[in-house]
Amino acid sequence: MSSRLFIAGLAAATLLLAGCGEEKVATYRVPKEKDPELPMAAAADSGAQGPPPTGPSMADTSVPTATGADLTWEAPPAWQRKPASAMRKATYAVGVAGGESELSITAFAGDTGGEFANVNRWRGQVGLAPLRPEDLEGAVHRLQGNGLAFTIVELVPEGDPNAKSILGAIVPFEGSTWFFKLTGPASAVEGAKPAFIEFLHTVKAP
Amino acid sequence: MNEVLRQVRTLFVSLRLTVVLLSLSIVLIFWATLDQVHLGVWAVQQKFFHSFLVFVKVGDLRFPVYPGGYLIGGLLLVNLVSAHVYRFKLSWRKCGIWLTHAGLILLLVGEIVSGLVQQDFQMRLDEGETKNYSESIRTNELAIIDATDPKFDDVVAIPESMLAKGLVVQNPKLPFRVVPKLYYPNSDLQMRSQAPGAPASLATQGIGPMVAVTPLEVTYAEDARNWPTVFVELVGPDGSLGTWLASAIPLMPQKFDFAGRSWKLVMRPQRHYQPYSVTLEKFSHDIYPGTDIAKNFSSKIRLNMPDGVSTREVLIYMNNPLRYSGLTYYQASFDGEHTTILEVVRNPSWLVPYISCSAIALGLVIQFMIHLVAFAGKRRRP
Repeated sequence: MSSRLFIAGLAAATLLLAGCGEEKVATYRVPKEKDPELPMAAAADSGAQGPPPTGPSMADTSVPTATGADLTWEAPPAWQRKPASAMRKATYAVGVAGGESELSITAFAGDTGGEFANVNRWRGQVGLAPLRPEDLEGAVHRLQGNGLAFTIVELVPEGDPNAKSILGAIVPFEGSTWFFKLTGPASAVEGAKPAFIEFLHTVKAP
Repeated sequence: MNEVLRQVRTLFVSLRLTVVLLSLSIVLIFWATLDQVHLGVWAVQQKFFHSFLVFVKVGDLRFPVYPGGYLIGGLLLVNLVSAHVYRFKLSWRKCGIWLTHAGLILLLVGEIVSGLVQQDFQMRLDEGETKNYSESIRTNELAIIDATDPKFDDVVAIPESMLAKGLVVQNPKLPFRVVPKLYYPNSDLQMRSQAPGAPASLATQGIGPMVAVTPLEVTYAEDARNWPTVFVELVGPDGSLGTWLASAIPLMPQKFDFAGRSWKLVMRPQRHYQPYSVTLEKFSHDIYPGTDIAKNFSSKIRLNMPDGVSTREVLIYMNNPLRYSGLTYYQASFDGEHTTILEVVRNPSWLVPYISCSAIALGLVIQFMIHLVAFAGKRRRP
């Protein structure tokens, strides 16, 4: 008798436990979050090579990392090419007298939120306040070369030679947007600027 | 007693059943170990141990070919308990055996419970960043966010499993119904301009019409993940608002206005919010001097309690997790010099294996001592 009772109890418990797995729609209110604009672009910017969301399948995922024709360039021999990551087209270590900076080259499909959003994203990364839309033109330099239009952004906080700085170029190309981004301490980025501009002149369509 | 019941009882209390089940489990473990090469640890656990039957795929069909871990474990449990109830008598001389078996039963029950209710999440934090949620490693959700309020987001999160089943969601917080039209458990996306031959998209709104979707085989590899994509139609009281594409592959935010409110639609790793938050103060990656060999990874975090006032500083490192509010935070990985990845585990039965193993050990010692004392007593007698 007791064994029968037990088996019945066990079956009921199993059913109860099996019922726990059912998922439901969740509703909640949270303090406003910053828009996760282009998490992939941000991840690539920060050099993410690790676990999710940077799975290996991302290497052949064409929306975040733009596929199609690649731009080509000639990097100065002194720049040391670093191992490729799924999120980047290329990475170089750029050493000058002022220190070492890193050049990352990434490409994403679409306009990736637009020039204004991207410039402000970079400003945020070096601790600068966001621009107003009307101030954008004054904060960038335009450069034409090899049939490409470069928008150059120089974000070097003044006063501190060690302050994190960015010298970047945004290049629209065949429906995707390419980012050439030099990151490092202010002195290193300043020192590498002439070579970087020179390098941009070598960037061209295949 | 009815003859059939008698036979069932005889079967369940028999030692022969125990031996058969143990043999089956040996084969199961061996097979699963071999299959781990193809599937990785997580998928092997799901296929062989967290299942009632092991299925083998032949062409497009799946056939059950072997009992899974839940079935073997469950039967062992029934076998053990039935034999216990039927055969054993409560006496001091048997108390060691009672304790050992109780420990074994607890171990089996604990494993079944943790298999059913354990949840794994991940929390990725940059230095200085604060989060009050962790994210699922494997499952996603479709978040429909009412972003009208400048201070708050009202979120309706639909789990991926409901999208996969095509369940229509009508939620009081949404002025429209969410109708999943098509779901791919794993997919690749391409801009339509790059894939001129792609079939027309189901999507009519947002980024969807510009994107071509290629369904992919579900992957179980440990170093890969699945990227599900879903097409959902939103249907208001006056008819369809259009069909959107949402994918776990991060896309540009898709925003739209409806019923005087601003909405955002995004597919993201399933989130698990807590009433407290965690701030990463510093991530340290120590190496042995003069080498690149890792010595220790540690995350100095600040736990901001639900009262919003008190805080606590905790150092999480290898084998020193933080246990708080039913969750355990382990140092799992890192990304660069300033980003930590914590594994967040909810396992209400984490203590069970410790208790059951102690009970088994204690039971064996007691039983051994009872026999030893009896034996020694016998020898002393002339």
